Amino acid sequence: MTLSGPERSVLAVLRALTDLPVDEEELAGELGLPPDAVRGSLQRLKSKHLVVVEESHESTRRLTPRGDAAIASGLPERRFLDALRRRGALTPEEAAAEGIAEEERSAAIGILRRRGLLADGLPFRWKDGAAPPDGLLPEEVVLKQVANGEEELDGAVYQALERRGLVRTDRRSRKAWSPSEEGRRLPLEATSESLLGALSPRLLASGAWSTQAFRPYDVRAPVPFVTGARPNPYVAWLEEFEEILVGLGFEQSEGPLLETEFWNNDVLFMPQDHPARSIHDALSLEGISGRLPSAELLARVAAAHEGRALPGESEPLGPGWTAQYDPAIAARPVLRSQTTAVSARYLARHPTPPFRMFSVDRNFRREELDARHHLEFGQCEGIAGQAGISLRDLVGLFQTLAHAIGIPELKIRPSYFPFTEPSIEGYVRHPRLGWMEVFPGGLLRPEVLRPLGVEVPVIAWGAGITRLAMVALGKNDIRDLFVEDLAELTGGTD
Amino acid sequence: MPQSTLVPSRVLELLRAPLSDRALDDLLFASKAEVEDRTPDAWTVSVTPDRLDLLSEGGLALYLQGEVESDVGLVTPPAGPEPSPTTRLEVDPSVVPLRPHLAGALLSAPRGGALDAGLLAEAVRFQEIVHASIGRDRRAASLGIYPVDRFAFPVRYALEPLDRLRFVPLDGVAEVTAAVFYRDHPMAERYGALGRVGDAGLALVDAHGAVLSLPPVLNSRGAGEARVGDRDLLLESTGTAERPVRESLGLLLAPFVARGWSVRPLPVVGPGDARSDGRRAVAPHPVRLSAALVHAAWGDVVPGPEVERRLARARLGFRPHSGGWTVEAPPWRPDLVTPIDAVEEVVLSGGIRPSDGRLPMSGTRGRRSPEIRFRRRVADWFLGLGYAQPNTGLLVSDVAAARVGEGPIPLRNPVSAEFAFVRDRLFASHLVVLGRNTRHGYPQRFAEVGPVVRRSTDAESGAETRYHAGGLLASESAGFADAAALADYVLRLLDVGSVREPVELPATIPGRAARVRVAGEVVAEVGEVHPKVLTDLGVPVPVAWAELDLTALWPLLGGREVD
Repeated sequence: MTLSGPERSVLAVLRALTDLPVDEEELAGELGLPPDAVRGSLQRLKSKHLVVVEESHESTRRLTPRGDAAIASGLPERRFLDALRRRGALTPEEAAAEGIAEEERSAAIGILRRRGLLADGLPFRWKDGAAPPDGLLPEEVVLKQVANGEEELDGAVYQALERRGLVRTDRRSRKAWSPSEEGRRLPLEATSESLLGALSPRLLASGAWSTQAFRPYDVRAPVPFVTGARPNPYVAWLEEFEEILVGLGFEQSEGPLLETEFWNNDVLFMPQDHPARSIHDALSLEGISGRLPSAELLARVAAAHEGRALPGESEPLGPGWTAQYDPAIAARPVLRSQTTAVSARYLARHPTPPFRMFSVDRNFRREELDARHHLEFGQCEGIAGQAGISLRDLVGLFQTLAHAIGIPELKIRPSYFPFTEPSIEGYVRHPRLGWMEVFPGGLLRPEVLRPLGVEVPVIAWGAGITRLAMVALGKNDIRDLFVEDLAELTGGTD
Repeated sequence: MPQSTLVPSRVLELLRAPLSDRALDDLLFASKAEVEDRTPDAWTVSVTPDRLDLLSEGGLALYLQGEVESDVGLVTPPAGPEPSPTTRLEVDPSVVPLRPHLAGALLSAPRGGALDAGLLAEAVRFQEIVHASIGRDRRAASLGIYPVDRFAFPVRYALEPLDRLRFVPLDGVAEVTAAVFYRDHPMAERYGALGRVGDAGLALVDAHGAVLSLPPVLNSRGAGEARVGDRDLLLESTGTAERPVRESLGLLLAPFVARGWSVRPLPVVGPGDARSDGRRAVAPHPVRLSAALVHAAWGDVVPGPEVERRLARARLGFRPHSGGWTVEAPPWRPDLVTPIDAVEEVVLSGGIRPSDGRLPMSGTRGRRSPEIRFRRRVADWFLGLGYAQPNTGLLVSDVAAARVGEGPIPLRNPVSAEFAFVRDRLFASHLVVLGRNTRHGYPQRFAEVGPVVRRSTDAESGAETRYHAGGLLASESAGFADAAALADYVLRLLDVGSVREPVELPATIPGRAARVRVAGEVVAEVGEVHPKVLTDLGVPVPVAWAELDLTALWPLLGGREVD
């Protein structure tokens, strides 16, 4: 650590003194320097943690010149009282003649009236039944105590006298200095010129470091601001959630973000005139046109929508929807509005039962942006297909998931989705936020499975991962999941 | 979710016992309705789209009667007085191209009763809910309520010349021609396109030529205005398809049947499909229910008596037969059509408890997608280099899109300019991130693996989703070499040989951008960001940009795992 000459001198004297702490004036006397010069060195030594300072404050009560005069010739109220005692009544002119100036008279009259001694109106006279006081007034007592330097006195009266400019309090702070432990240990003999600075390749190579001492650093001094890269909290949370599903035997899948309406809706038995499919709800792209799937698959899905028997079958799966199925709608591209489209594509690949698949990905809806809605949001979707799988298995899965995310209290109620029946919804109880709707699900309808050629029952479920992530990460605004602030992502910036 | 405001007293008066708020919530939890908000005078109720019947006070009361078991089983309204032979609806062939379907029903108040203000308000409000949902804003179906005493059957449904139709609109005082009505009236402005073709418009006209309504726009005053005190009503529905017409009419029966009104079918005379005896619209419809399907869906046996108890509580009729039942659903339950619909009714009406759950043996091995795992690995490498990890959206603003050239695809129906394009490179988003962090110090480095969308004639949807890994380095000394080195680093870890070739890329300095190829395939773009871009963003230091196309790289790895 480098010390200037004056700093070294100040520290040396401080270390030599035995009666510590010492104030700046004393120290200046020891050094034969003006106190201001010593004060600067002391501050610099303090910033290097080589000295410590104890600060104390003193206060002294004194009489002002007006207070001295009051002691000598009496307080105005005393002089007023004496004059009244002598005359029995007193006009303002008589008071002036008694040597009580007008401004003094006002203060005196105010005090005496508050004490109930003076009657209202002129001339001034005793209030009926009031007896002139015999002893000293409280103000006179305190004034004398201050004059005598007494510590114990009536604070309220003192403050009143202070407001009248008769007494004042002088306050003074005192700094007393002594060397710190580090200041005592610091070698003062060696000069900075003889100490080694930064260790350099040249020093290492020369071996000079073995014959010289290193200049100590102020280890408390500010250092460069280092930032690192941490996993994005939302992305990391999603990965943890995915791990849960992998652990439950689910295989991860994904699909295109731009889908045809066929895969986004039709194959999921969403009616083509469903309000959620309108231009007001789904986002579509300019100058892009899509293609239809295979004619065979299209024909099967169209039959389900129109309530006709599938090709080669005699019985329709159900009454279908009202609107005539329109392949032109099916070919329209839209930004995917539900991850269920991924499940449909997976099922269309005819997986061998038993199968379990999940997808965690983004979807898009034409929402107005606010704290709870975003055009881009995350969804988790899963399906499980095997002979005999049922609603009870889905409930069991909800239970497992609720436990896995640490919100185990679950309740379930009926719901509705065009592609599942029966349809249910799982709510979990968050300790702070109460019941939250997080697990929609159900058994995929025959109108979904049969056109895709799936012969086993399939449970399908979702998880509101955006909502769950907001809860887990303590975010109140969905927009905060799209973190772009580097300070937040790196642990701060300078 | 469809929602409506109900008058609590009108629901509760139909129950035989008082119902506390808590008890109501408990009952509704097992239903598809929910009271979202309540005051002593109003319940805000929302339902799933398949249970619109619960959005009328009458419909909700019918449900609750079953739940508290004060009334169970199918509600069968009285048949009402026998109508005269002329009591029918006649469909003229002229309506067929525009709005061919018509259904109707005759309703009569119970003895000593009549239409009161509460029921009239309930029916009108519920009618609008049906219009907005099943009716698809009146296009697929729209309803009308008429006082039988103020017109004469048969009622004719036809396309008539607008200047020959004269009536007083329901909200008017003076008689106008339909031509004037269609020209001036706000309802005509909203729904007119559904009810007119050129100079002709749809009309329901009685035997004396009085106009009941101009479907689906507005009723007339007089023959088309049901009032307090009316005892006999005509309910009708017109539309573009038979099913929504029938279903919407069936739904509107619920408030009346709940209050003991009688219902009679109304024959429809007309061409082809339009002709019917009217029974289907007002009679219960059968739904097959097999015990085996209940077992399969629930995953356990539900004993027959329990199935029947649940059906009765759900206000459904049933006839047992071998292997199951034929369920009879009232006309206000259009959600019950197929066997699985009936199964849902049985399974869910028992209430589902978490303890009912079981987790089956899976017999499957869970695993991550190898391609996603590869992408995550690359993201980790960037983290290891100290690149922060933002999470940016696929949708970018028009300004952000314009910076990076012609690649971003515009949305056809954007909500705002802030989200108006789909990015084709992460670069578009990352320049935005750079501009939003100018208040922080430098160097700054960040990278992200995320999706982009690019036009592709090979893709079924016309554009393909690709995953890129993109990074920016902003520092006093950043330059092209940093960008190229970043791409080289990733490609070296992937153990693929690459070559760079010069290219002009938007937002980069000419002569300081390159494409990187592996086996002839473009797998990355690198460059030094143009000072014009940096100045616009307020970035005071040079910036190096590298972006790898992981979707292009993945097949080149031949399924090889990377660490």
